[in-house]
Amino acid sequence: MGPARRSSPTTGAAGEEAAALARRRQGMLLASPGALYLLIFFVVPLGLITVYSFATRTSTGRTSLSGWNVESYRAIGDDIIVGIIGRSAWLATLTTVLCVVVGYPFAYYIATRPRHVRAVLLVMVMIPFWTNALVRVFAIRFLLGSNGPASALSESLGFGTFRILFTPTAVTIGMVYSFLTFMVLPLYVALERMDWSLTEAARDLYASGAKAFWKVTLPLTRSGIVAGCVLVFVPSFGSYVVPDILGGAKTLLIGSYIARQFRDARNWPLGASLSVLLIVAMLVAVALNQRSGSGAEDRDRPRPRKWGRAPDEAEAAAVAS
Amino acid sequence: MTEAVAAVEIEGVTKRFGEVVAVDNVDLAIGDGEFFALLGPSGCGKTTTLRMIAGLDLPTEGSLRIFGEEVGMAPPDRRPVNTVFQAYALFPHMTVRQNIEFGLRMRRVKNPELSQRVAEATGMVRLAGMEERRPDQLSGGQQQRVALARALVNQPKVLLLDEPLGALDLKLRQEMQQELKALQREVGITFVFVTHDQEEALAMSERIGVMSEGRLLQVGTPREIYDRPASRFVADFIGRTNILEASVESASTVRLDNGALIEAETSTPAGSRVAVSLRPERVRLQPHGTTAAEGSSLDGEVRDITYLGHAVVYEVAAGPVSIEVRVEGEVGEPFAAGDEVTVAWDRGAAAVVAD
Ligand SMILES: Nc1ncnc2c1ncn2[C@@H]1O[C@H](COP(=O)(O)OP(=O)(O)OP(=O)(O)O)[C@@H](O)[C@H]1O
Ligand SMILES: [Mg+2]
Repeated sequence: MGPARRSSPTTGAAGEEAAALARRRQGMLLASPGALYLLIFFVVPLGLITVYSFATRTSTGRTSLSGWNVESYRAIGDDIIVGIIGRSAWLATLTTVLCVVVGYPFAYYIATRPRHVRAVLLVMVMIPFWTNALVRVFAIRFLLGSNGPASALSESLGFGTFRILFTPTAVTIGMVYSFLTFMVLPLYVALERMDWSLTEAARDLYASGAKAFWKVTLPLTRSGIVAGCVLVFVPSFGSYVVPDILGGAKTLLIGSYIARQFRDARNWPLGASLSVLLIVAMLVAVALNQRSGSGAEDRDRPRPRKWGRAPDEAEAAAVAS
Repeated sequence: MTEAVAAVEIEGVTKRFGEVVAVDNVDLAIGDGEFFALLGPSGCGKTTTLRMIAGLDLPTEGSLRIFGEEVGMAPPDRRPVNTVFQAYALFPHMTVRQNIEFGLRMRRVKNPELSQRVAEATGMVRLAGMEERRPDQLSGGQQQRVALARALVNQPKVLLLDEPLGALDLKLRQEMQQELKALQREVGITFVFVTHDQEEALAMSERIGVMSEGRLLQVGTPREIYDRPASRFVADFIGRTNILEASVESASTVRLDNGALIEAETSTPAGSRVAVSLRPERVRLQPHGTTAAEGSSLDGEVRDITYLGHAVVYEVAAGPVSIEVRVEGEVGEPFAAGDEVTVAWDRGAAAVVAD
């Protein structure tokens, strides 16, 4: 590498530029099918949704692509809609927190097994994920139903029958179950990369097991937690299938509400504007994750060591302080 | 070493990992303030022994005392020892200062004392001015110093070091050897130092324990280990040596398998099979037929000569055995390949080792 490969300084610089250009061109070529796909199936519908959000709903429930206005956005301020958004955000937050609480020990357990056991456990985590979501949610509905096994168990233990189906509790249980994989996988990746000699070092330096976890393991797996939270929060916020099947009238969430606007209520502009809002909110969440997540990444992963010499900035900072 | 209570006392300690016996019935006492090296080839159980002292592994059998207190099953945070790990294990998400403070904070040392001790430790390992850096912004040698400071700041009763110089290049390594030795003298803490580098062990420590396959084969000063190895393995592992098969003739003579009778002290009963270790630098080459006034000699023929700059190594065939002779500080090469020579050595140069 470096000087030895350059035949002469002048042709070298030009050659490098040409190579970089070629690399870029090659990259574009490789990316183009994917880019085309995204353009057709993501950007175009997104554009259409945005256009519809500014359209007018006629008295017959049809959408007229004229008389552009922001009426539907104004309608979002309506108490009912704000309530629905608030409830959705609350349930998504609850789901995310529960997923961390349930998923972290789970991922920890898997990551600390011997290698071959890990592979088996991971596949077991993935199996429900590969199963049709609808099937899984209906299975939960059966489980939680007043004639289901959970109720039977509760009854046999003397707690009476159990009516949680069609309540926010049922929706939360269903969402945690549906999205847990999205939490476990990034957490597993972070924990699997964990250098356990660091927790041993903490123990050696008088930290109890809990303290070592708190001060070392948790901060070093932060990027996994953040990624898992985004991956769970975003789909739970807009979730539609789970609340539709497990929730009742009292658990109308934003996802179902949007679907209703496009179908029964025939208010496309409102459905579209709510969708735009949801998408913007998610983009913000993802962007925040990118920033904090990538920052954490830098710190977690041991960068290639620069033996014998520190980066200049660091040197300067150290001298200045 | 006075008869005071030992810093570390290991008694009949065995560690098994499933079928693997990593440490096999080891007895060892390390004195207060001693610089002790555990030496042995890869996989012989050095790290496991150290980890048991630290509490990171628990012994399967046996007892372990630190300054007289039984700690065999105590967790690592309840032992007055600290470790410098093989790959340093610095916390990557903390600055140098936070790394060094860690142990003190865990023990709730409060501020005037905290910052004073950190400053002291930082100064001791010459890291002043780098407190705000992260470990990945340090060179290997600097990281090594952080690991040292992070352990020493706690003023442990025993400091455990697992190949602390293994990752450094030769020059830095030699520098750090001197530094570590000086540091140990300064702080007066017992150091237990693991290495597979025999030169490092000889140069640095007051006593060495040689391990092989989980067993502690011999414990002694560098000189004892080098000059009076207790076994063939130790003789061979420490430095270079010629191993000659022999049987004991009397308390002061053994007969080599090629028939030659040589002088060597031994307590092994007559008739026993033994080996004789002859260090290449402790034997001389003489013109053929000259016998020494004292000591022993063997006749042979020069087979090969290797020039090393500071020394010349002759390979001499004496009957079926081959003897390496190392000559230092001689101008020119008085013997050539094919010359008939006599290999001679002083009384005491030959060590009888058990099998
Ligand atoms: N956690 C473990 N599980 C199973 N076997 C182990 C474990 N730790 C160590 N061993 C085995 O115990 C033996 C001793 O290992 P140890 O790490 O103590 O060797 P070492 O002398 O430190 O070697 P090195 O110089 O390579 O570091 C080896 O055979 C090793 O494979
Ligand atoms: Mg080791």
